[in-house]
Amino acid sequence: MSDRLAIDVEGLDKYFGKFQALNGVNLQVPRGQVHGFLGPNGAGKSTTIRVLLGLLHADAGRVRLLGGAPWRDVVELHRRLAYVPGDVSLWPSMTGGEAIDLLGSLRGGLDETRRADLVERFELDTTKRGRQYSKGNRQKVAIVAALASNVDLLILDEPTSGLDPLMEQVFQDAVAEAVARGTGVLLSSHIMSEVEALADRVSIIRDGTIVETGTLAEIRGHARNTVHVTLENVDGLESVPVLHDLEVSGSQVHATVDGDHIGEAVAALTQRGISALTIEPPSLESLFLRLYDDEPEEQQEAANGPKAGNR
Amino acid sequence: MTASAPATHRARPASSVTGTGSLLRVSLRAEIRSLAPWMVVPTILTLTSVLGFELLGRTEQERQALNQTIAGNPALGLIFGPAGDVSTLDGFNAWRGLAIGGFVVALGAILVVVKATRAQEDSGQAEFLAAGVMGRNARLLTALAMCGIMSLVAGVLSGVITALFGVGWGSSLLLGAGFTATGWLFGALAGATSQLAGDARSASSAAIGALGVLFILRGFFYAVDVPGWLIWINPLCWVQETHPADGGRWWPLALVLGLAVVLAAGAFALQSARDFGQGIFATPPGPDRGRVHSPLGLMVRLNRAPLIYWGLAFVGLGVVFGYFIQSVREILEGNPAMTEIFARGAASPEAMSATFVATIASLVGIIVSIPGVQTVNRIRTEELEDHAEPVLAGAVTRSRYFGAGMLVALGAPVLYVLIAGSVMGLFGMSAGIGLSFADVLLQTLAVLPAVWAVIGVAAFIVGVVPVARVASWLGVVGSLALTLLGPSLKLPNWLLGFSPFYHVPPVALDDPDLWGLLWVGVIAVGLVVGGFAGFRRRDIP
Repeated sequence: MSDRLAIDVEGLDKYFGKFQALNGVNLQVPRGQVHGFLGPNGAGKSTTIRVLLGLLHADAGRVRLLGGAPWRDVVELHRRLAYVPGDVSLWPSMTGGEAIDLLGSLRGGLDETRRADLVERFELDTTKRGRQYSKGNRQKVAIVAALASNVDLLILDEPTSGLDPLMEQVFQDAVAEAVARGTGVLLSSHIMSEVEALADRVSIIRDGTIVETGTLAEIRGHARNTVHVTLENVDGLESVPVLHDLEVSGSQVHATVDGDHIGEAVAALTQRGISALTIEPPSLESLFLRLYDDEPEEQQEAANGPKAGNR
Repeated sequence: MTASAPATHRARPASSVTGTGSLLRVSLRAEIRSLAPWMVVPTILTLTSVLGFELLGRTEQERQALNQTIAGNPALGLIFGPAGDVSTLDGFNAWRGLAIGGFVVALGAILVVVKATRAQEDSGQAEFLAAGVMGRNARLLTALAMCGIMSLVAGVLSGVITALFGVGWGSSLLLGAGFTATGWLFGALAGATSQLAGDARSASSAAIGALGVLFILRGFFYAVDVPGWLIWINPLCWVQETHPADGGRWWPLALVLGLAVVLAAGAFALQSARDFGQGIFATPPGPDRGRVHSPLGLMVRLNRAPLIYWGLAFVGLGVVFGYFIQSVREILEGNPAMTEIFARGAASPEAMSATFVATIASLVGIIVSIPGVQTVNRIRTEELEDHAEPVLAGAVTRSRYFGAGMLVALGAPVLYVLIAGSVMGLFGMSAGIGLSFADVLLQTLAVLPAVWAVIGVAAFIVGVVPVARVASWLGVVGSLALTLLGPSLKLPNWLLGFSPFYHVPPVALDDPDLWGLLWVGVIAVGLVVGGFAGFRRRDIP
């Protein structure tokens, strides 16, 4: 039953001394899907991933990876997954090519044709020493090593930090090809466009807890649309319950509206004589900003809303 | 010169060394911790000469014996240089300190200069500085100034403090001045190699290599009495020629300073001829494909350079200790302090030789355990530098990873002991002291369980309580202190027994007691197994 899921985490807790890094994390990723994993620095993305890799011991909860236990079944599981850390640290005296081959063979071998193809597409000089690479080139070494492996699951922890936009595009293409081969992906990222382009579903983590999970459309549904409107009569707008964050300057009105209340809002505005109207759908970025806005009230909303939506 | 230009920006004319003063202040404050050891070690070296002389040369007879032993041992000369008259405190101090103290300060100077020049460029730190209000030559000048100050403090500290403890002022200060001059010379050399080499590591390797070769040549020149003019082509011999305790000449130091100035000037010229972050010689490209495919291969690769250096070092140590074994009679006769340390409780001359060789073998063992403990610590460094993470994300169990490191840590000592033991055996068999090649080699091999116990302590610490990593050196430090100082401090046997080397019997004797050694082996196994268990269970940072 859990074999349907590549990653199945329930109620995961992790403490570092007294500090609780993860608090009841739930994360389900079906096989062959790309799952975006979003969250600000220090929210617990890397800690979750390191538990999945069997590097950290879970303090509580159930963690299943490709049907096995990450702490126990290290060898069998790691043959079937590849990992790209967010800050790749290479051995200073080893060349990039040597590092790719070492990491590949530790995983049970590389696809030679794909290795050559990726090295060319990422324009990577594999004869440089680890200490000579820039940040972006170190990332490329790890990306090539991971994508050239034949695996069932890619675990990518902010894999493109330091890559230029051109290489970012090459990366997205290469991941899309891996997905077409049937590879599942857990993609932790800061780059919204990358997640929007690749991910089927998204989980958002904050302070060690998953605060939002769903398809991009579902998550957009929880977020508010932005409304810019010019009205003949702006009186009494405050009393329209579906308009939030209302700003009025002359006849110009800006407000936000929940996705399922757009009809009501437009009806209320029509009565006041619309001369211009634009409604922007929520971007992942605006949702992200709303979730991490530091105002306690917003936090409360963010924490309550999605949980209700999930059940 | 328009009047509207802000006055503050025009206050000082910009030059190629603008900013050196403030950069030097900041750098000194930031680097004081890494500078301190190089400034203190030479003083410790000369102070222990005073202590050692008190211990070994209490009576006139002992002093003469000491003089003969040292003068008659060419192996010691290779390292310390010609002996001169070591029956006086000044002479003993100069002999013991001159070469080694200069070597230490020079090594520190090289590391300081490379760190403040090329290493900063490699790490990107220097880019910040270069983008600020900073003249082209400011960073190099700062590095040389830091090295200059460090070497000066090292020399003055050692000279003054050692003189306060009873060494003659003239000889002590000249000795210290020798340290300082050597530091300046090699700091300037490192300034030049930093401009030539493709990266920081090659820069320091080139300078340290030059230091090593000149050091060995210096010992060799004096040992084989080469023609006088040959002495003058090696700058380290110039320092030797000051003869601090034996007349005392200052002028050879002027030659050293002159060469240092030439090298420094060369470094500035080279710097203006190269691009930022690039050496005059580029780093050649490495292999495109890898041949390392397993954790064990990786551990061997990571320890390759130290494995080679230590292997060579044990050939050298074998020669030094071999000479010791050859001259066992002269060393022990008439010197009860030496006998107490090296051949305690031996009744017959044969037993004395066998016990002496056992002690020498234990010393070799303690030194062999140093690279072993280093390798164990390397496992932890790999974790801390995030190199272990991608490996453990491969199909590699914790046990296989730790096991690969431990195999190198425990296996390399077997090689080292075989190397040192064979060389010592060659000397021992020709000494006519009743010992065969096999006796000496077996004796050296017999220390292995004790070596493994010391490395086992490190394995246990790194595996179970890695935060207490310093404690991984407990075995080495404890064994060394108990073996060398224990007997002369008349410590009780139960305390001496904490050193695993205490349980190494003289195997050349009839019917040696091997039970203690067996227990040491059992403890070693227990510690290593504990380390494995800990490493399998704990978090990897």
